[in-house]
Amino acid sequence: MTAPLLETHDLVKDYVIGGEVLHAVNGVSLTIKRGEFVAIMGASGSGKSTFMNMIGCLDVPTSGTLLLDGIDTKTLDSDALAEIRNRKIGFVFQQFNLLARTSALDNVAVPLIYAGLGYTERRERAQAKLEAMGLGNRLQNTPAKLSGGQQQRVAIARALVTDPLMLLADEPTGALDTQTSLDIMGIFQKLNDEGITLIVVTHEPDIAEYAERRIIFRDGRVIEDAAVKSRRRAVAG
Amino acid sequence: MSKLLNSIAGWGVNIAIAMTALRTNLMRSILTTLGVMIGVFAVILAVAVGNGAQVSVTQQIATLGSNMAIVVPQPDSGSGPPRSTDRGRLTERDGRAILRQVSGVSAVAPQIRSSVQLVTPGRSATTQATGATPEYGIVSNVTASEGRFLTDGDVGAAARVVVIGQTVADKLFADANPVGETVRINRVPFKVIGLLESKGSNLGNDNDDQIVVPITTLRQRLQTTAMQGPDDVTLLFVGFEDEDSLFTGQQEIKRMLRDRYRVPKGRISPFTVRTTTEIAETTGQVTQIFQAVLVAIASISLLVGGIGIMNIMLVSVTERTREIGLRMALGAKRSDIRNQFLVEAAVLCVIGGAIGLTLAVLAAAIFQQVADFPAPVGLDTAIMSVAFSAVIGIIFGGYPAIRASRLSPIEALRSE
Repeated sequence: MTAPLLETHDLVKDYVIGGEVLHAVNGVSLTIKRGEFVAIMGASGSGKSTFMNMIGCLDVPTSGTLLLDGIDTKTLDSDALAEIRNRKIGFVFQQFNLLARTSALDNVAVPLIYAGLGYTERRERAQAKLEAMGLGNRLQNTPAKLSGGQQQRVAIARALVTDPLMLLADEPTGALDTQTSLDIMGIFQKLNDEGITLIVVTHEPDIAEYAERRIIFRDGRVIEDAAVKSRRRAVAG
Repeated sequence: MSKLLNSIAGWGVNIAIAMTALRTNLMRSILTTLGVMIGVFAVILAVAVGNGAQVSVTQQIATLGSNMAIVVPQPDSGSGPPRSTDRGRLTERDGRAILRQVSGVSAVAPQIRSSVQLVTPGRSATTQATGATPEYGIVSNVTASEGRFLTDGDVGAAARVVVIGQTVADKLFADANPVGETVRINRVPFKVIGLLESKGSNLGNDNDDQIVVPITTLRQRLQTTAMQGPDDVTLLFVGFEDEDSLFTGQQEIKRMLRDRYRVPKGRISPFTVRTTTEIAETTGQVTQIFQAVLVAIASISLLVGGIGIMNIMLVSVTERTREIGLRMALGAKRSDIRNQFLVEAAVLCVIGGAIGLTLAVLAAAIFQQVADFPAPVGLDTAIMSVAFSAVIGIIFGGYPAIRASRLSPIEALRSE
């Protein structure tokens, strides 16, 4: 039996603001298995983004335990955390976060630079991921010459290029119109069907219904954690 | 081996990222580079001019003649300028005594120096006249390239003959051959018997701007400052057979002159005896100080250029905080971020250094042409300056780069 992909025990993150301690995440224990499609919901300030940042190894917990692929992240230094972000996690952001004036191909290849791959292999892999996203004819376009949906698909290709264990998407549809949002969720469902674990942070209940499990945060705690009853499908198969 | 290749490839990526970033803010990059460029330019030129000064001094000493001592009738003032007080007397008789009594002396050339005005029809020139004997030619290595030099006969007869330097010839006779022509020196007509072999110029001092006449003639016809006796001279050049005898001879001459003029013990001798070796050393020291001062001033501009780099790198890090956060999220280690900005600073500096070097080489060549002053830019200077500018980049780019690498990924990502 392999370890769960993600396991947290009494995870806490405190911020000190103006001399007062704010418990952004206040004792969260949960487990996410491989292959799950999880939506994390909550109002702003509920702690969902802070939780997301911690499981993405971008932020370190104040206390508690975070096991990622069986590894206790407390034991890792900043270089090891960087390596985990590079190899095991793919990030998708609300604002896409593509490098301006840089081609789609080069944007997707960035994580492979830090994985230590050579030029040719970087380009081949990046091109394959872009083609899988239906952007085979947009390789040399800079973000300014791509629509919002195309930019987000470039970002997804970038998140997938190191073949990570899980995709963390923080409000991935927040900057997109309804139809494009549905397209992106369709891509996520397809990826999930292919076996990748997906964790999507959103405040839109519709979007959460594309996931199979919904976790709701309030005041730094999990107040609901249940399977999505009437799950939506964006694309067939 | 593959690890090494990977690390080289990693730096290549950093250079590519740096070039993209620098191109994005092209104007800013150019202005920043300008600072380093001017700094490197100034340093190289300063080193070149300093080297040129030393070369020039060496040549100047060589034109004086080697293994020679210069005796002047004034107290030794160390390396400072000669003092005019306590002036002693120096005579041709002293010169003859030195030749007779001091061992290793090959020739003594007594001289009187005087400023004179030369006139030919329609032209005139002011220059320094040296009243000399044929020994002057032997001791200080002066010969005539056209015509002839002074002879004992000229001196004995106090003949109105003159050997002129190239510069004087150009002023008075233009392109015509001056030998055999007549020139009025302080209104007295002289016959030009020869042209001095050119010795060029050093440190702005034209060695060809002089004339030589028989010492007797100068004394009788051209002297403007009165001497105390009929036999007095301005200075003596004493030629030695070799360097060893020059060394001992210098002391012997000093002792001898004290004896001859009965200078009491404890009193400062009113004579200075300098060897060409000593003169070379003193002037060498002076030019070294000159060079050090030049380089120090130039280094300040390089420092300012470096501070410019640091300033722009700090701005760049602040502007690209979000990009840094993103790169960290995508797996960049702290060292990757640090190297990225280090390389960016180093690229700026190396480009600036290379352009500065090119301009300095050009400027040195022009300087050499226009000012007739050697300013050699050696390969060592070139390599040193480019390496130096890379080091400037690493030092001044280091702080911003480390600051960038210490950013927390999440805070960097959140910044606008």
